[in-house]
This record gives sequence, C-alpha cells and structure tokens, in this order.
Amino acid sequence: MKVLARRLILYIFAIWSFFPLYWLLNTSFKTSKDALSKPPTFIFKPILKNYYEVISNNQVWGYFFDSLIVALGTTFFGLLIGIPAAYVLARFKFKGSADFGFWILSTRMTPPIAMLIPFFILYLKIGILDTHIGLIIAHVGLNLSIIVWIMRSFYEELPMEIEEASYVDGSSFFQTFYKIAVPLSLPGISAVGIITFLFSWNEFLFALVLGDSVVRTAPVGLYGFVGYQTIYWGQLSASASLLLIPVLFFVFLFQKPLIKGLTFGSYK
Amino acid sequence: MNQFKKEKNKFIILMLMPATILLLGLTLFPFVVSFILSFTDYSLLRPGQTKFIFLENYIELMKTKDFWIALRVTVVFTVFAVALQVVLGVVLANLLHNENANVSFLRTIYLLPLAITPIAATFTFRLMFNPSLGVLNYFMKILGFEPQAWLASPSTALFSLIIVDTWQWTPFILLICLGGLASLPNEPFEAAKVDGANSFQIFYKITVPMLYPFISLALLFRSIDAFKTFDIIYVLTSGGPGILTRTLNLYAFKHGIEYLSMGYAGSIAIVMLIITIIVAQIFLRKNKLLQAKETLR
Repeated sequence: MKVLARRLILYIFAIWSFFPLYWLLNTSFKTSKDALSKPPTFIFKPILKNYYEVISNNQVWGYFFDSLIVALGTTFFGLLIGIPAAYVLARFKFKGSADFGFWILSTRMTPPIAMLIPFFILYLKIGILDTHIGLIIAHVGLNLSIIVWIMRSFYEELPMEIEEASYVDGSSFFQTFYKIAVPLSLPGISAVGIITFLFSWNEFLFALVLGDSVVRTAPVGLYGFVGYQTIYWGQLSASASLLLIPVLFFVFLFQKPLIKGLTFGSYK
Repeated sequence: MNQFKKEKNKFIILMLMPATILLLGLTLFPFVVSFILSFTDYSLLRPGQTKFIFLENYIELMKTKDFWIALRVTVVFTVFAVALQVVLGVVLANLLHNENANVSFLRTIYLLPLAITPIAATFTFRLMFNPSLGVLNYFMKILGFEPQAWLASPSTALFSLIIVDTWQWTPFILLICLGGLASLPNEPFEAAKVDGANSFQIFYKITVPMLYPFISLALLFRSIDAFKTFDIIYVLTSGGPGILTRTLNLYAFKHGIEYLSMGYAGSIAIVMLIITIIVAQIFLRKNKLLQAKETLR
C-alpha cells in the first residue's frame, strides 16, 4: 500500500515534469498549421520535415558543437578550480575565511545588468570576445560560487577521521585531498557537475552578449527561430528536442554516484 | 611544528588561488563600474554629458511607485516559487531515494526540465498557456472548469509564472538533495528502523535534519537566482498585464537596455545587490553556515 502510494506520487510528478516536453516533441512532428490548430491536436499525421531541416542545417550543428565545448570546458575548469577552494573552506579556519566564503557567494548575487556591459568592454579590451575560452571563463565565473558552496557542505558532511588517519600515516595535505577527500565526495561532484554543465549549456544572456557571431551556443541559436512576426515552431521544437540527446547522455554518465550506498559502502 | 604550519598555509593559499584570481578578475571590474555609474546620470543617448549626481538616482528610485511595486512582485515571486520548489524537491528526493526499484529512468525524467533549452521550454509554455488554442484551457474545458486567460489576467499571471519557475527549478533542489542523501551515513536510519520509527518519523526526525545543510544551501542559491529571474518572465508576460509581473530585474533592463539610462539601471542593480547581501547574511548567520564547523587538527 505504502509502496503503491509512493509510486503514484513519483509517477504523477514524472507526468508533470514530462508534459511540457511531450508538448514540445508533439509540436516538432507537426506542420506549422497543425502546431497552431484550434483546438490543440493530440492525434495527427506526424511529419519528419522539421527534423530533416534541422539536421541538414549546418548552423544548428554549429550551435551544438559550440555549446558542447563551452559546457564541457566550464564543467571541467569549474570543478578543477572550485573543488580545492571548497575543500579548504570546509576543513581549515583562517583569518577572514568566513568573509572570503561570503565574497565568493556574493559573486552570484550581482544582477546581470550590472555585469554585462563591463564584461563586454573587458572582453573587447583583452580580445577574447566571441571565443570559446571567453565564454568558458565567464561561465566558470558565474558558476564558481555554486560549485564552491555546495562542495563545501559535502566536505563538511564527510567524517574527518579518515583524513586524520591519512596524516598520521604520513601523507601530505595534497595527497590526502586527492586520494581520500575527492573520491569520498563523488556524489557531490556528480550533482554539482551535472548542475554546472546544465547551467552553462542553457545560459542565455552572457552567451548572447559575449558570443553570438563566431561562437553561438544553442540557446542563442534557437532564439533565432523566434522572429518578430512568427515563431518557427517546427524548427525550434525539433532542434530543442535533438539537443536534449547529448545532455541526457551527459546526465546519464554523471549520475552514477548519486545512487545510494555506492560510495559509503566502500569506506565503511 | 613550524614547518607543519608553513606547509598548511602554503596548501591553503595554493588551493584558493585559482578561484580568487578568476573571481577578482571577473567581478571586481563590473562591480566598480556599476557602482560608479549609479552615482551618475550616464546615458548611452548622450554619453558626452555625464554628470556626477551623487545619490539622486537612489532618491528618485525610492520616490517612484513603480520601484516599490517591482520590489513587491519580486519578493512574492521569489518566496512562493522557492518555497514550492524546496518542499517538492525535498519530498521527491526522499521518495526517490527510498524506492527500491530501478529509478534511473524516473531520475532522468525529473531532470528534463533543467536539461531542455529554456528558450524552447518557455515558448512551449507560452503556447500551452494560450487562452484560445492552448492545451491548458482545452483540459480545463474537458474537466468542466472555466477557461482562464492565464498570462494575460491580473489574477493568474504571477501564479502562472511561479508554476513555470517551479517546473523548471524543482529538479535543481532534487539533484542537490539526492547527492546529499547518497552521502549520508546509513547507521542513523537503520537504528531508527530498529527502534520502530515509521517512515514519516524517519523523514521528519532524521532525514530532514541531516539533510539540512544541503536543503538550506539549495534554498539559498535558488532564492538568489529567483530574485534576478529574467528570461521566463520576459518571454511569458514581459512584466504584464500592466506592470503586475514586472520584477526588479525587468525594471532594471527596461531602464538600462530600452531607455539606455545606465546610471539609473545601475542604481537598481546596486539596490538589488544590497537586498540580497543583507538577506543572505541573516540567513547564513542564523543557520551557522558562514564558517567551517570543525577544522582539521
């Protein structure tokens, strides 16, 4: 009975999460006339024209590769820079460590309007406007606060005895960090890695202002299907649906440590 | 011992250095520029005649009724959307974690709203909310309810935005809580089961308190982001009907991008930043999250 109630709730939420996407997928197989029919149609003659158009469109492939490079780069460098800072903030107290932590958090609070134009000027001066590395740097900067803070609470939840034992055995700080703390915090790294990837993959405003002509990520590119007068529903929904595939692949690869018992079983 | 202390300091500095350099380089300059601009009447329409006007932008802002309406809309949106997401996210994470069947399929479905390009999802919502040809009113009619104007009606516009935001961001809370649950030790749960606690008691007395550091962080980040939500509101209502769903961020964009008065927009941004800093400080102090709880040796 309890199991049944739990599954019922889980599946209701699954429908709620999926329905808008079902509608998007539905639209991607419709002609432009069917997409805006009244009343909305559930059963119709599906067409593949939208997908043909999108797949044969080199620009859409360009959005895909630009997004992939930027999102993977952001995840890699974000974790590489953020995890060490998170570890130190969780394990050591030093003069001003609380203020330092808050300063990192505060970098996420600045409203985009205050950042965009100075960023644009700065990037223009350094010459990294409209480059992959430029967008990666911006996205790492935007997401570092979340990586550091969430990883920090994962490290705080880890029992300290194991690390202390490692020091007694004569390991250095660095060895203890990457041989003990990093493997034990894999559920956290996995959750934060997925979040960082998705944030970067879907980020719109900075990708628009700092990129757009040479480097055009998917959100910016897809916005091109929204005209002043008409929205190209077919191409918009078909490319959005196709772009889900690599994201799901990434999420699938990264979600393994989220499964319970996988990490703690090994250390007990 | 001195050698050890030296080693420790070197370790701390090296580990923090990359993050510090990057964030200093990226945030200091924009902040200083916006801060200075907010005390001027700088406008892209007449860039050569900028005057230093000290606090005038801020005084003007405090006297404008629209600003207070935008502040109220922003607070209502943030509080209700985030509360809904946290409750849903925590409960679902727990249900999912306790499910013994293979749930990787469900987990993937739950993450979809976070994975889909927001532009496409938001426009799909606009289509679904459409009063005459949208699928929502189609269902309303079938179920025997009065069709609604959703995004166009003063009574449902903000509510509809909160629903869309909840749809999109509940997975964020869920993901952090799942990570948290996976890293908690098993012993307290097993002990409680042996003592005969039912699953509701375990959830309330053990899971939530142990998960609390993660929940509070997810709540904090979600609030910071919700407070400056832009894209879904811009696409779905553009702040309408009237200015009933116009948040502070949209208000700042209106002045900065449409009217090109960067000084005034800068002052709105600074006010938003100050509000967020104050609320976050209170929240972090109350929850004792500002500093590491225990430290190594």
